[in-house]
Amino acid sequence: MKHVVLLLFCLLSGAVIGQNKYTISGYVKDKASGETLIGANIVNLENPSLGASTNSYGFYSLTMVEGTYKIAVTYLGCEDQFFEVKLDKNVSLNVDLGEGVIIDEVVISAEKDDRRKNVEGTQMGTLELPVENIKKLPAIFGEVDILKAIQLLPGVLSSGEGTSGFYVRGGGPDQNLVLLDEAVVYNSGHMLGFFSVFNADAIKNTTLIKGGMPANYGGRLSSVLDIQMKEGNNKKFEVEGGIGLISSRLTVQGPIVKDKSSFIISGRRTYILDLAQPALKGSDFEGTNYYFYDLNTKWNYKFSDRNRLFFSGYFGNDVLKFRQPGRDFTFDLPYGNKTATLRWNHLFSEKMFMNVSAIYNDYQFKFNGGQEEFVFQVFSGVKDWNLKVDFENYPNTNHVLKYGLNYTYHTLTPNTASASNGEVDFSTEFLPKYANESAIYFLDDMKLSDKWALNSGLRLSLFQQVGPYTSKITNEEFGTFETAKAYTGFEPRFGLNYKANNNFSIKSGITFTTQYLHLVSNSSSTLPADVWVPSTEVVKPQRGIQYALGVFKNLKNDTYETSIEVYYKDLKNQIDYADNYVNDITKEVEDAFVFGKGRAYGAEFFLKKAKGRLNGWIGYTLSRTERSFDDIEDGRWYPAVYDRTHDLSVVANYKLAKKWDIGAVFIYGSGKLFTPVRGFFFVEQNVNLFYGPRNSARLDAYHRLDLSATYTPNPDSKKSYSGSWTFAVYNSYNRKNPFFINFDTETDFQTGSSTITGSKITIFPIIPSITYNFKWNQK
Amino acid sequence: MMISKYINPKYLVVLLLSLSLFSCEEEYIPDTNLQEQEVVVEGYVEVGSNSNPTFVILTKSIPFISTIEPDKFTELFLRGATVTVNDGDKTVTFTELCLSDIPEELKAQVYEVLGYTPDSGAVDICLYVDLLGQLTKDYGRKYDLKVLIDGKEITATTTVPSFVPLDSLRWDDTPGEPSDTLAQLLVTIDDPAGVANFYRYQTATEGSGFIAPFNSVIDGEIFDGKKFDIPLQKAERRGGDFDPDSFGLYLRGDTVTIKWSTIDKAHFDFWNTRDFSANSGGPFSSYTRIASNIKGGLGIWGGYATEQYKEVVPFK
Repeated sequence: MKHVVLLLFCLLSGAVIGQNKYTISGYVKDKASGETLIGANIVNLENPSLGASTNSYGFYSLTMVEGTYKIAVTYLGCEDQFFEVKLDKNVSLNVDLGEGVIIDEVVISAEKDDRRKNVEGTQMGTLELPVENIKKLPAIFGEVDILKAIQLLPGVLSSGEGTSGFYVRGGGPDQNLVLLDEAVVYNSGHMLGFFSVFNADAIKNTTLIKGGMPANYGGRLSSVLDIQMKEGNNKKFEVEGGIGLISSRLTVQGPIVKDKSSFIISGRRTYILDLAQPALKGSDFEGTNYYFYDLNTKWNYKFSDRNRLFFSGYFGNDVLKFRQPGRDFTFDLPYGNKTATLRWNHLFSEKMFMNVSAIYNDYQFKFNGGQEEFVFQVFSGVKDWNLKVDFENYPNTNHVLKYGLNYTYHTLTPNTASASNGEVDFSTEFLPKYANESAIYFLDDMKLSDKWALNSGLRLSLFQQVGPYTSKITNEEFGTFETAKAYTGFEPRFGLNYKANNNFSIKSGITFTTQYLHLVSNSSSTLPADVWVPSTEVVKPQRGIQYALGVFKNLKNDTYETSIEVYYKDLKNQIDYADNYVNDITKEVEDAFVFGKGRAYGAEFFLKKAKGRLNGWIGYTLSRTERSFDDIEDGRWYPAVYDRTHDLSVVANYKLAKKWDIGAVFIYGSGKLFTPVRGFFFVEQNVNLFYGPRNSARLDAYHRLDLSATYTPNPDSKKSYSGSWTFAVYNSYNRKNPFFINFDTETDFQTGSSTITGSKITIFPIIPSITYNFKWNQK
Repeated sequence: MMISKYINPKYLVVLLLSLSLFSCEEEYIPDTNLQEQEVVVEGYVEVGSNSNPTFVILTKSIPFISTIEPDKFTELFLRGATVTVNDGDKTVTFTELCLSDIPEELKAQVYEVLGYTPDSGAVDICLYVDLLGQLTKDYGRKYDLKVLIDGKEITATTTVPSFVPLDSLRWDDTPGEPSDTLAQLLVTIDDPAGVANFYRYQTATEGSGFIAPFNSVIDGEIFDGKKFDIPLQKAERRGGDFDPDSFGLYLRGDTVTIKWSTIDKAHFDFWNTRDFSANSGGPFSSYTRIASNIKGGLGIWGGYATEQYKEVVPFK
C-alpha cells in the first residue's frame, strides 16, 4: 500500500512541473430540452488521447498546456460540435448538442468516441444504457422496463421468468446497489417483481457496473445500477405519455424560469383489475383488487454557473386488497418505496467540482388481515437518512481525482407482528435495529503513459450497530447511538489498462467490497415480504473480492465493439436459510440464518454493433456459481440458485423504413436449478416428500423470442403533437418455459391409493401487446 | 399456528396466477433412482391417562412414482428388525406384530391406536410394540430407540416433557356468515413461564381415529407465561377433498375428542417442518426438508405428554 501512495505522489507532483497549463470546463446539455448529458465526450482532435467526459451532472473539466486546440464535443445520437479554443487562460465552455442528422434513413450517430471507451477507459464491466435504446426493445405487455433490459447484458441474469430481479456475476439479488438519483432503492419490483419501479419516461440514464466497482460506490458486493432521473425541459413545456394494456403513463415537464429552472412530474398506474371490478361483483371475491402506481418528480434551480440545486423524489406503492365476504376474510398488502434527494452542485474552480446530497428513503411492507375478530398485522421496513459529499478534481489531463464522505443512519424494522383475537393481544415486540454506516474514499483515474492507465482507489467503511439495543448474547443494554457492535471494511480497488493500439486493449481489476445490509430470501426471487437486516452481533458483514481480466477490441472503424472478460469471485459470510427453515413470523429472521462462503467464476463474450440501420448486440456468458454452508449438507459445495451455465442474449434493432422500426430479442439460458424430490414416505398415513441434494436438478432450458414493431405515422411532422404505435409479441413461438415445478399429493380413502403428481408450471405463453405513445411539445 | 396460514405465499401465487390468466401446467416426472430407498421410522411413546402403548412402525420410502395402490402398501412394512428402547433404567425389546397374525377383535384396537380406519383390509400393517408395557412411562423421562435391520443401525432419542393441560374449552359461532349447524372451538392455555413449551393436537369425531390438522403444532414461546386463547381446528385428512365452507369447523351435536399433547423441541420441529413442507412449495417458497430426529433414516421417534378431552358440540 505504501508503494501505491508513493507512486501516486510522484505521478501527481511530476505532472504539474512544466509549462503553463489552463483548464477548459463546463456543462454539456441537450439543445432541445436543456437536460444535462452524462458521459458526453470532449476530445482534443489533434491528440485524441487527451480528452474528458461529463460526469453524472453533465460537468467536464480538461486541463492542457497553453495553446490553441480543435475540440470536438460528442454524444450518442447527437450531432458533433467542433470548437477552436485558444487556451491562454481558463476557459468556460458550455455546449448544447442537437439531435443527429438523418441522411438516407441512416442516423449518423456521433458515438465514435463513446465506443472508444470500450478500449480506453480503465473501468471494466461498466455498461451504459441510454433509456432511448431501452425503449426500442420489445417488452412484455408493452411495459418498457429498465431492469429487464439490463438482464440482456452479459454477466447479468434474470432471477426468473418475466421478473425484474437480477443476479450479477453469481451474486445474490441483495448484492446489487440500486440507486435512483443517489437514493438506495430497497425493493425495485412491483407486483412480486414482475415489473420494476422505474418508469422509463422519467429516466435519463442507466449505468450498470458489474466488474470493478469504483471506490465512490460501496455497501454491496456485486454490482451498482446507477439510475438518473431526467431534470425536466428548461426551454419549453412538453407532455408525453402512453396508453397500454395494463397501465398508462403521463409525464409533464417544462421550465419554471427559462434556462434557469425546470421541473418534471411523471406518473404511472396499472388498471387491469380495476377493469375487472364489475366481473368480481357478486362473486366470492367481491372487492378484491390489485394495482400499483409510481410518481417521479424532479425540480432544479441554477443559481449561477457555479451553483445548482436539485430536488428529486420518487413515490410508489403496490396495493393488494383481498376480500372474501362469505367468510369475512380480508387482507390488505400495501408496500412501496419513497425516496427524496436534495443535491447541491458547486464549482469551486474549473478543476474542482463538489456535490453535496441529503437523501431520505423509506421502504415499507405491511400486511393487515383477519377474519372477523381475529386481526393480524405485520410490518417491516427500512428507513435511511443519508448525507454525502463528493469531490471531483481534475488537476491535469493525466488525473481525475475523486474523494468524499458518506454517512447513513439506518433504521431497520424487522417483521413485527401483532394479533388480537377479541380481547387477547399478542405481539412479537421486536424493536427496530439502528445503525450508522460511514465511508471515506479516494480514487485516482490516471494515465501513466500513452499505453498504460491505472485506476486506483481505496474505500474505508465503518458500520456500527447502535442502540437502543439489548444484546442477545450478553444481555448488555445499549443506549441511543451507543455502539453495540462495530465492523470495519478495508476496500482497495484497482483497475489497470494496457492499450496496445487505438483499437485494442487489455484490462484487469481487483475489487474488494463489504456489505453490511442483507436480504435473504427463501424463494428464488425476492418478495416484498423479504426483510432487510443489518449486520449485528449475530450477522457478520458479507465480504467479497473480485478478480477480472478482459480484452477489448473495436473493429471496422469502430463499427463493432467486442470484448471478452473473465472473472473470479470469492465471497465470505454469505447468508441463507437452513434446509428445514420454517417461515415463523414470531422469530427474528437473523436467528434462522446460516452462514457460509461462495465462489463464482465465468467468461463473458460481447459483440456490439452500435452504428447503422441495424444495430444491437450479442452477449454470451459461461459461468459457475457455488455456495458452501457448514449447516447445509455438511458444507458440500453446491451450485447456488444464481448458477446458470449458459446465458445468451441477442438484441437487434432495424430501421426498416422511415415510418417503421423493428426490434427483436432472443434469449437462451440453462434451466434454473432446483432441489428435486427423491421420493416419499408415510407418517400418520400421510404422504410426505423428501428431497435430494440442494439444487441438484435443473429445469428445462429457457428460451424465447420477442418481436416488436414501432410505427410512427408522421416522422417528419413539425406539429406540436406526435404519436406512435408499438406492437409487440412476447415469447413469439410460444415456448413453454417452466416457471417452477409443483408437487401435489392426493389420497383416495375409498381405494386406499395415493397419487403424487409433479407438474411443470408455465406462466407466460405468447403475449401480444399494443401501446400508443404520444408527445406534445410547446412550440 | 394459524399465523403462517395468513402469510402463506400461496395466497400470493394463486392471486398472481389468476391475475395473469395465462399460466399452464404440464405433467412432470422427475428422474429417480430406485436403489435409494430409506428406512422410515414412526414411533411414539405416550404418557398420560389415555395413553397408547409404545410402538414403532418401520417402512421403506418410495421412489417417485405417480400412484401407489393399496396392495403395494403391505410391501412397504419392514419385518425382522430388532427394535429396543431404553428408558434410562432398562432396555426393552419390542415385539413384532402384524395384523395378519392377530385375532379380529384385537385389530380394531390396533386401528384405534394408529388412528387408522380400515377402508381396505388388504393392507397388512406390521409394527413393533411394547406388548407387556415394560417401559417406565414418566414425564421428563428420556427414551432411546435403537433399530437393527439388515445390518444397519438406526437410532433416535426423545423425551416426554411435563404436561400443560388445556385451561378451558368453549364453543363459539363460526366466523363470517352465521351458521346454525357449525361451531368453532376456542381453547385457553395457561403457558408456564420460563420453559419452552411445544404443543400438538389431534381431533377425532365419532367413528374416526385421531387426525392432525394441517397446522398441528403450536410454539408456546411467544405466549411464554401468558394465558392465551386460540382456535383449534377440526382436522381434515390430508390429500382428500374438503368443503372450504366447513373447513376447520365442528358440526353441532357431534361428539368430538381433542387429543392435546406437550412435546419436546425435536418432536415439534418434525411436525412443524412437516406441516410447513406440506403447505409450502411453488415459486415463492423453496422446498422444506423435514427435520427428523432419526439418525440413519427418515421419520419420527416422538414422546407425547397427552390427555384427551371429550366434548359434545352444543346445539345453538
